[in-house]
Amino acid sequence: MQPSVGVSVPRVDGAAKVAGTALYVDDLPPLPGELHGVTVRSRVARGRLRGVTFDPAIDWSDVTIVRAEDVTPNVVALIVDDQPVLAADVIRHAYEPVVLLACADRAKLARAAAAVTLEVDPLPPILDPEAALSADAVVEGRSNLQKRYLITKGAADVGDEASLAAIEAALAGCEVVVRGRYTTTHQEQLYLEPQGLIARWDDHGVHVVGSIQCPYYVHKALTKGFDLPADRVHVTQAVTGGGFGGKEEYPSVLALHAALLARKSGRPVRMIYDRKEDLEATTKRHPAICDVATGCDRDGTLRVLAMRVVMDGGAYVTLTPVVLSRGALHAAGAYRWRDARIEALAAATNTPPNGAFRGFGAPQTIWAIERHLDAVARELGRDPLDLRRQNLLTIGDTTATGQKLAFSVAGLECLDKARADSGYDEKRRRGPVATGRVARGIGAATFLHGAGFTGSGERNLKGKAAVDLVAGGRLLIRTGSTDIGQGTETVFRQIVADAAGLPIGAVDYAPVCTTHVPDSGPTVASRTIMIVGSIVESAARKVAARVAAERDRAGGTFAEAGDRLIAAGEVTELVQYVSPDYVKWDDATYKGDAYPVFAWSCFIAEVDVDLDTFETTVVGFWSATDVGRAVNPVLCVGQIEGGALQALGWALTEEIVWKDGLIQNPRLTNYIIPTALDAPHMTTALIEEPFPFGPGGGAKGIGELPMDGGAPAVAAAIEHATGLSLGALPLSPERLLAASRRNAL
Amino acid sequence: MSLTDLESYELLHAPSLAALVALVADRHASGLHTVLLAGGTDWLVEQESRPPLPSGVEHPVVLDVSRMPELRALEVVSGEGGDRLRVGAAVTYLELRRSAVVGERAPLLARMAADVGALQIQARGTIGGNLATASPAADGVAALAALDADVLVESVRGRRTIPFSALQTGYKTSTRAPDEVLVAVEIALPSRGAPFVWRKVAARRAQAISKVALAGVAEVEDGRVTRFGVGMASVAPVTARLPTVRALALSRPIAEIDAASVDRAVEADVSPIDDVRSTRDYRLHCAKALVRAWLRQLGARG
Repeated sequence: MQPSVGVSVPRVDGAAKVAGTALYVDDLPPLPGELHGVTVRSRVARGRLRGVTFDPAIDWSDVTIVRAEDVTPNVVALIVDDQPVLAADVIRHAYEPVVLLACADRAKLARAAAAVTLEVDPLPPILDPEAALSADAVVEGRSNLQKRYLITKGAADVGDEASLAAIEAALAGCEVVVRGRYTTTHQEQLYLEPQGLIARWDDHGVHVVGSIQCPYYVHKALTKGFDLPADRVHVTQAVTGGGFGGKEEYPSVLALHAALLARKSGRPVRMIYDRKEDLEATTKRHPAICDVATGCDRDGTLRVLAMRVVMDGGAYVTLTPVVLSRGALHAAGAYRWRDARIEALAAATNTPPNGAFRGFGAPQTIWAIERHLDAVARELGRDPLDLRRQNLLTIGDTTATGQKLAFSVAGLECLDKARADSGYDEKRRRGPVATGRVARGIGAATFLHGAGFTGSGERNLKGKAAVDLVAGGRLLIRTGSTDIGQGTETVFRQIVADAAGLPIGAVDYAPVCTTHVPDSGPTVASRTIMIVGSIVESAARKVAARVAAERDRAGGTFAEAGDRLIAAGEVTELVQYVSPDYVKWDDATYKGDAYPVFAWSCFIAEVDVDLDTFETTVVGFWSATDVGRAVNPVLCVGQIEGGALQALGWALTEEIVWKDGLIQNPRLTNYIIPTALDAPHMTTALIEEPFPFGPGGGAKGIGELPMDGGAPAVAAAIEHATGLSLGALPLSPERLLAASRRNAL
Repeated sequence: MSLTDLESYELLHAPSLAALVALVADRHASGLHTVLLAGGTDWLVEQESRPPLPSGVEHPVVLDVSRMPELRALEVVSGEGGDRLRVGAAVTYLELRRSAVVGERAPLLARMAADVGALQIQARGTIGGNLATASPAADGVAALAALDADVLVESVRGRRTIPFSALQTGYKTSTRAPDEVLVAVEIALPSRGAPFVWRKVAARRAQAISKVALAGVAEVEDGRVTRFGVGMASVAPVTARLPTVRALALSRPIAEIDAASVDRAVEADVSPIDDVRSTRDYRLHCAKALVRAWLRQLGARG
């Protein structure tokens, strides 16, 4: 049998997507009696809702109306129960849902929505996260400090109160101290398919189908929201056109809305956001302000790190504590520090809740530490990549949380590979090359990304997956892990095929419906291949072992032996994830093994900067990434290149423009992501340093990692080309012009 | 937002230009609005972002003019004043890009057309549509300004020519009467091989509205500029014709024009604003840099 793992088999979902026959949620045919649903939002960032008026010029008799008083309990169940399903009397952000409407006639529904007037007494909104920490409460009765973490190591490990003075003392003892502030902005996921969902009720309970990343999150929200037993909530994932974290928690809100309208109307209700509503109302990447101070020896040995991170959580907590945690755990970058103090805070503001987005807090802090290392290199007169190489973590080193790295650490190999492939040394030696009014420069970032849930997360999560033996010698994978475009369906089949010794064509993937598949944990955190893939692999081995035993007993092919087993009863193996024993984590002190393993990478960007207009063009891009094991090399490279391009957008052009808490550019024409024409040629190397507990011979999670290194690599390249060092994203021509004037002073 | 009521619109085709202008005049006299739809690349976007139409009101009549033969001319007309290029109002950007005669005789238009939207927009968008919607950010209109185009309009009162310099009156307003239909533009062709410039500054390489764009065409004889046209997008409420810059370029031997006087002239001619796409400061900086580079290309100092 030819192995499947390590081979770039074509995506099983590819043909239908290319041919346009794949059915996304809005392609599903209308159900009998179906209504369209729409949301009326506040349009004021903060205020008191005095009342709602419905224009009598509209005949409301065929319009279903749901308001806060129809919702009990009026809360979206997540980490903290602070977010109402519909705003009742207080408005806390500009896109707060207030009224839901449903009608069979879409044109009438649009008129009806325009005929609802919200009477709001506006209050001055709190929009600055730093100011919010000392402002009056965004959510009454709750602190604007949504979460705080403190990580200490070495000299700073003297208790919370004494740690600040201790780290300052450690800095004071260093030969070279560098301080800096690095900031990042909101980023919209901009998946191809906007959010959408259809809800209906029948004798079995509530059914929703939609564009969903984590069906069991939606399941939980509906179970709690309608006080239903688990077996009366049925959540099905439709073909999903991208998520990037944006469809992690928000579909829970949409599902509650659609199910409320469906229950009140007694009809199926379809709610599909258009791009504008999606861009305005759904979650975005948390902006962050990072203040960094480092101390090092004159020879470049890094010693002390102090970082304070403030993230803007938006009006409600949603997943902010988890995002903040990952941000804090990546703040030290891929480097050795003797002493470290990392304090991370999240503040509530009157902006829409920020949430999950590929990288999940890490890109913000890695932006800060990587930009800062460039500043340290400048201070020392060192090449930035040499300085990194000198300080990169390797086997036997401990991280800021005290995690001792024992295996699968290839940061140095990644650095050396990308450095050689890009011709970095020669290009740096030459210095910036000016052709007419265009300057060319090159820059790098090295980084790591923790795969799987943080700390004891996987142990608490107890993710499960099953493999069934099916007639004719086939296997069926049943998992709650969703394919949202990243290739899960294909890669899981490869892993299972090899584990069972079958061709990939003998493996099927059950439609993801909570009624029929176990809860494998959410499709997030670079955990799908590494964690769930390993459960699926284990289940497949168990099924194959049962078939093998039957063949030993009575002979025949895999299919014949399998069919004999099935005739005697259902053959299925449900496996729960077992965290490797070595993973030890203390949530109270934030010490221990933050992640089971890290993936490692080096990104190098080469840019042209027009010195008249300050437009930046990325003309070359090289990367080397330690992925453990590439189960499907083409898909693996696709993840890295797609993520890198998303990072280039964040670096150069993506910016939400706000005015009084309202978004001024909620359209594809003015929220600027890169197009194919803006994508540089990418040279992408895979380094395979296997993770002993990873599936397929050692795969690690790499879904989020490529989001981390693009922005700092581009900023370093711009600095090389122009001498302009920027600490704030995006690196727009307008900001570069302003920086050039500051430099000229 | 409101594409939901689009299907209730009436889409008509007029059998001829004469019938079209008669219908437009008729409806205008009755106070009714008529949409002349060419590529639809602006209009459909507007439909999506406007509030829904109230029920019971008469929905606009949409007349598809995209295939009307009288609006599809693309030819060189020879006359006493020299060769003129006629571009019908319904000629698309892609046709401009692909036309041999445009590439040879008016390369500025071909070069500009390659930067409008992206290929899909270029295949639908038209030069007439760009003029009719009259956005000061329009790339096509900046090029027409540089070429000092004449705009041909027709109504039941007959056909007339509006020189570009007399066309625009303010933000999205013009001297074209509401019942006048754009038929074509005509350009006095520059000499073969005449220098030109097209430079678009935008947030990405395609599908981006200009932050600033400069179109220019010139003829230079014995170190003096004898013909000079410029048009600039996104720096004023209308497409900027930069009259002070024009006067400067024609005023003395090109080698005697220095960067400081170019900067002063540009500052006198533009009034950019802060908006969602860029800042006044950046636009002013680019406007100066682009005009300086263009004049350097012609032989100016610095």
